[in-house]
Amino acid sequence: MKHLVPEFDSMRRRYPAEATSSLVLPCLRRIQEDRGYVADEDIAELTAYLGVPRIQIEEVLAHYTQFRRKPIGLWHLQACRNLSCSMRGAERVIDHLCHKLGVQPGQTTADGRYTLSTVECLGSCGTAPVVMLNDAYLENMDATKLDALIAGLPT
Amino acid sequence: MTGRKVIMNFPVTATSHSLADYRARGGYQTLAKVLREMRPEQVTKEVVASGILGHGGAAFPAGRKWGVIKLNDEQPHYLCANADEGEPGTFKDRWILENAPHLLLESMLISAYALQVHHAFVYIRGEFDLPYRRLAAAVEEAYDGGYFGKALVGSDFACDIVIYRGAGSYVCGEASALITSIEGKKGYPRNRPPRLTVRGLYQRPTVINNVETLANVTAIVAQGGQAFRQIGTAKSPGTQLVSISGHVQRPGVYELEYGTPLAAFIEEDCGGVLGGGQLKCIVPGGISTKVLTAAEITTVTYDHASLTAAGSGVGSGGMVVIAEGTCMVRLLQILLRFYHHESCGQCTPCREGMGWMHRIIDRIVAGQGRPEDIEQLARISRANDGTTICGMGDAAGYATLGILAKYRDEFEYFIQHRRSKFDGRLEVEGPEAAHA
Amino acid sequence: MPEFFINGKAVQAEDNQTVMQAATAHGHYIPYFCWHPELSVPGNCRICMVEVAAEGQAEGEGWLDIACNMPVTKGLRVYTDSAKVRARRKETLQFVTLNHPVDCGICDKAGECKLQDYHYAYNGSPSNSIDAKVHATKHHDLSSRVVLDNERCILCTRCVRFTSEVSKSHALGVQDRGDHSLIRAVGDGAFESDAYSDNVIDLCPVGALLSKATLHQTRVWYLKPTPSVCPGCERGCSIYIWHRKSEWRLQALDARRNARIDRVTPLENPAVNGPWICNKGRDLAQIFERARAAQAMLKGRPVDLQQAIAAAQALIAMARRPVTLVSSWASNEELAAFAQALGPRMRCFVKPDCQAAPGEVLQDGLLIRPDKNPNTTGARAHFDALPQDPRSAFAADTDLVLVWGEGYSFAQLPPQARIVVLNSYLQPENGHADVFLPISVQTERSGHYTNFQGVSSAFSACFPKPPGVADAQGLFEALGAMTLKVLA
Repeated sequence: MKHLVPEFDSMRRRYPAEATSSLVLPCLRRIQEDRGYVADEDIAELTAYLGVPRIQIEEVLAHYTQFRRKPIGLWHLQACRNLSCSMRGAERVIDHLCHKLGVQPGQTTADGRYTLSTVECLGSCGTAPVVMLNDAYLENMDATKLDALIAGLPT
Repeated sequence: MTGRKVIMNFPVTATSHSLADYRARGGYQTLAKVLREMRPEQVTKEVVASGILGHGGAAFPAGRKWGVIKLNDEQPHYLCANADEGEPGTFKDRWILENAPHLLLESMLISAYALQVHHAFVYIRGEFDLPYRRLAAAVEEAYDGGYFGKALVGSDFACDIVIYRGAGSYVCGEASALITSIEGKKGYPRNRPPRLTVRGLYQRPTVINNVETLANVTAIVAQGGQAFRQIGTAKSPGTQLVSISGHVQRPGVYELEYGTPLAAFIEEDCGGVLGGGQLKCIVPGGISTKVLTAAEITTVTYDHASLTAAGSGVGSGGMVVIAEGTCMVRLLQILLRFYHHESCGQCTPCREGMGWMHRIIDRIVAGQGRPEDIEQLARISRANDGTTICGMGDAAGYATLGILAKYRDEFEYFIQHRRSKFDGRLEVEGPEAAHA
Repeated sequence: MPEFFINGKAVQAEDNQTVMQAATAHGHYIPYFCWHPELSVPGNCRICMVEVAAEGQAEGEGWLDIACNMPVTKGLRVYTDSAKVRARRKETLQFVTLNHPVDCGICDKAGECKLQDYHYAYNGSPSNSIDAKVHATKHHDLSSRVVLDNERCILCTRCVRFTSEVSKSHALGVQDRGDHSLIRAVGDGAFESDAYSDNVIDLCPVGALLSKATLHQTRVWYLKPTPSVCPGCERGCSIYIWHRKSEWRLQALDARRNARIDRVTPLENPAVNGPWICNKGRDLAQIFERARAAQAMLKGRPVDLQQAIAAAQALIAMARRPVTLVSSWASNEELAAFAQALGPRMRCFVKPDCQAAPGEVLQDGLLIRPDKNPNTTGARAHFDALPQDPRSAFAADTDLVLVWGEGYSFAQLPPQARIVVLNSYLQPENGHADVFLPISVQTERSGHYTNFQGVSSAFSACFPKPPGVADAQGLFEALGAMTLKVLA
C-alpha cells in the first residue's frame, strides 16, 4: 500500500478536515484496483494510515459486495439477475455463461481467466440484459454477443 | 406527447456533456446571477415557491427540507447528491450524470450557496462506470473553470466537491445509510430523530437530495419558483425523468411533464408492449411501488396525486412494463430475493422478515407451497410496515402486498398445482426493442 | 423537566430524556434487548415499541414507535401495554425467534435469559414458520475467554457497542449483512487483550456470548449471588460471587463443589464501577481457590491451633521491638481489631500483598488501578506504608516480626527476629516461621474494604471457613490478651 500513500494524501486534501474516516472506501477501492483484491496486510496498513478502528475497515470489506479479500479471475463477469434483465433474457444468459465457462455463479474457471457472479440491478434496465465485464457495462447482451466478446478477449 | 422539458431539453451529441457545450447552452449563467444578486435565503425561497417534490422516491418537498437548515449557525453544513440509483427499474439519474453532469454541478453550487455548504458530495453507486467518468471529468472541468474551489467565479463563496463512490449496497441509497457510508462505514441507516438536516454527515446539518431533484434547481432559480409551478400539475410541479423498461418496445429515459396520461405515454411514446403483446400490469416507480394493472392505469395521469389515488406512487420513476403471460409468482421471487440480499440486517423485522419471505416464495416456486403461505407473506409484509429503521422493510411489504392483492389467483394456482399458471415465464416473445 | 403520561399516569422526566429512560427511572417497565442505560441507542431490536396517541386520539388509536429513541415532550401520551402494543410485541418476537435455535435445554443462559422471559410474557406461541432456520456457527471462540453461538445471537450489538464505547478496544463488529450477519472479533486479536471483554457476557440478552471458563458447568438457578468486593485492585469493584445454594448442595460429589466460586459478575454500583468489572475480577477463583494452609505449625511441625496461638502469645509478650507487616487485604474490621489489640505494642507497616503480574494491565482510564490490593486505604488509615526498601522497616534490634498475609519473603526479614506468620495459602515458607497460623479468606467472612477514593464497600461471607483455620480478627484479641496480662 505504501506506493499509494501519495495518492491517498492528495485525496485526503479534497475532504473536509473532520472527514478522515471517509477515506476508508476510496482507499480500499484504490488498493483493490492495484492489487486485484484487499490483502490482510493492506488492512493493517490502512488502519495505521487512517487511524480508524481496524474493525471499521473489516466491516466495510464484509458489507459491500464490490470488495474482495481474495483474488479472482482476470475477467470478472457480473450478470444482473434482477427484474427487467430477467424479463429480457438474463436467466438464459446466466445459464449460458455457466455452461460455457463450466462454473456456477461465485466461482472462477480452473485456468483463472473468468470469474462469474450474479448481481442485483445495475441501473441499466433499459438495455437489459446487462453484464459487467470488469468495470464496463455490456448492454443488450445475449448468448451470441457474449460468445463473440469472450472470444475477442486478449489471452 | 410528454410535455415540456426542464432537463432533457437539448440534443445529446458526442460533446453535449462537456463544459464548453454546457456553457454554450447558457450554463453557469444562473450561478453567476445567484452569486451576484441573491442572498442564500432568497434561493431557498425560490425552491420553496417551486413546490418541487423530491425525486428519490419519498416525494418530500425539497424546499421544506432546505428550510430546516439554520443559516449562520457557525458549523459546517453538507450537501449530498444521491446518485446511488439502486432501485430496480430505475436508471434515470444516470442520464443526468452521463449527459448533463454540469447541470447537476451548477445546481449543486447554487444549492450549496443557499445552504451555506462548503463541502458537497455526490454519492454515486460503485457499479456506475461511464456515469462516474463523465461526472469526474465534469468536476475537473468545473474546477479548472473556477466554479469549484476557493472564491467561486469572482465571488467570496467557496465550495469543494467530492465524488464518493459506493461499493455495492442498495441500502446506501437511503439517505441516512448514504451518509454513514460517506463516513467510511458500512451502510447502516439511522433512526430518526435526529433528522439529518439537524445532525447528519459527521453530525452536521446535512441536506441529501436526489440527483434529479437537484438538477431542477438551476431552472427553478433561473425562471423563478412561480414560473416553475406553471409546469406540471398543482400538486406535482415540474417534470419527472421516467426510466421505462421491461416488456416495452422502446425502453429508455423519457422526461414527462407531470399530468401526462400514463397509458398513452406507454402506448405511443414507448411503442407499447414488446412485440405487440397485451399489457398485464406495470410497476410505476421502482419495484417498491405497488403494481397497477392495465385496467387500473387507463385513467391515471403521471403525477403524485393520480398515482397515489390509484393505489401506488411515483416512487423513483423506474417504470417496468409487464406483459400478459408473465408469471407474477416468479416475478415476486426476484423481488424478494433482491430485498433479502440487500437487507442491511440491523433491525429485526426486516433482517428476519426478508429471509423468511424469500424462503417462502422459493418454496412455492419449487412446488412445495402451502395455502397458508400467502397469508404468511402478507402478515410478514404488514409486520414490516412502519416498524423498521428505514423504509426498506416497508418497501418490500408494499411490493408484496400489491402483487398478492392483484394476482392472488396465480399464487393459489402455483400452490395447488405445484407449478406456474404461466410456465414460470418472465420473458415474452418479441423482436429486439429499439431505444429512445 | 417535561411532564408526560405513561398509561395515563403523569411522569416527570428530566430534560433531554427518552421515553425509555424516563419510564425506567419511574418504574414503568418497557421490554428491551438492544437498549442499555450505559450504551448508545441503536434502536434495532424493535421490542420496545410503544403506542403514542396524538391530540384527540384515544388509547388504541395512536401510532407505534420505539421508546428508546423517542424524546420526551411535554404532554406526550404513551401506552406501554395497549392491545396494539401487545400485538406488535408478539410479531416482533416472532421475528426474533424465527431463526433462534430452541437451545434452552443446553444453553447456559437459561433462567436468566431475556428472550425466554419475554417469550413467556409477550408471545407464548410457537413459530409461524415451517421453513428451516438459518444455520450459523454454533461455537465460535471470540477469544480464549468468550465463546459465541451465532445462531442464538439476535444482533442487538450490545457487545459491539461495549467494545467501541466503554472498553474502547473496538474489538467486535458485525460481519456481512442481512440475516447472514455475524458478530466477529477484529482480526488483530484486540478482543483477546481487552481487559473488560467478559462484560459482553453479562450484556448479551440471550445465550449467544458465554464464558468459556464456566461453560456447561451449572445452572444459574442452583446458584446464589452473594454481594462482595473484588480484591484485584484498589478500585474495589462491587461484585456478586455466585456459589451453590445450600438447598441445592451436591451430596455425592466432591464437597469442594459446594464451596467454590462458580462465577463472578458485576454488582452495579454507580459510586465505584457502574455495571462493569474487569476480567481479573471474573477470575477470582484463581486467587481464592489456591491450595489453602489449614494446619497450624511451630517451625513446620504441625500442632493444633490452640497450641500455636499460645506459642504466638508468648512470643509477642516477650518481644521488645516487634514489627508487624500488615496485610493490605485486611478488612476494616480486622484492622480495627488489630489496632486495638496489638497496635500500640507494634511498629506497623502496610505491605502490598500482591503486585501486578507480568503483562497485567497496570492502570487504565476505566477501572483498573495500579495498587493490586483491595484495602491499602483502610490499612493506611491506621498505619504507615512499608518503605520502598522493605528491609529498612526493621532495625538491628527488631526481635519479632508478625507477618500478616502474603507478599513478603523470608529473605527480607531480619535473621535475628522471631517470626509469626498469619497466612491463608499453602507456601513452603510457612514452615520456616516460628509460629504459623492459618487464617480465613475474604469469602469466608464479612467485612468492608475502603477503596482509593475513600468509598467503603461491604462483602459478605459465601462459605464456611475450613476446620483448623482461624479468623484473624478473633486471633488478634487472643494474641493481645496475654500481653496485657504481662504488662499488668
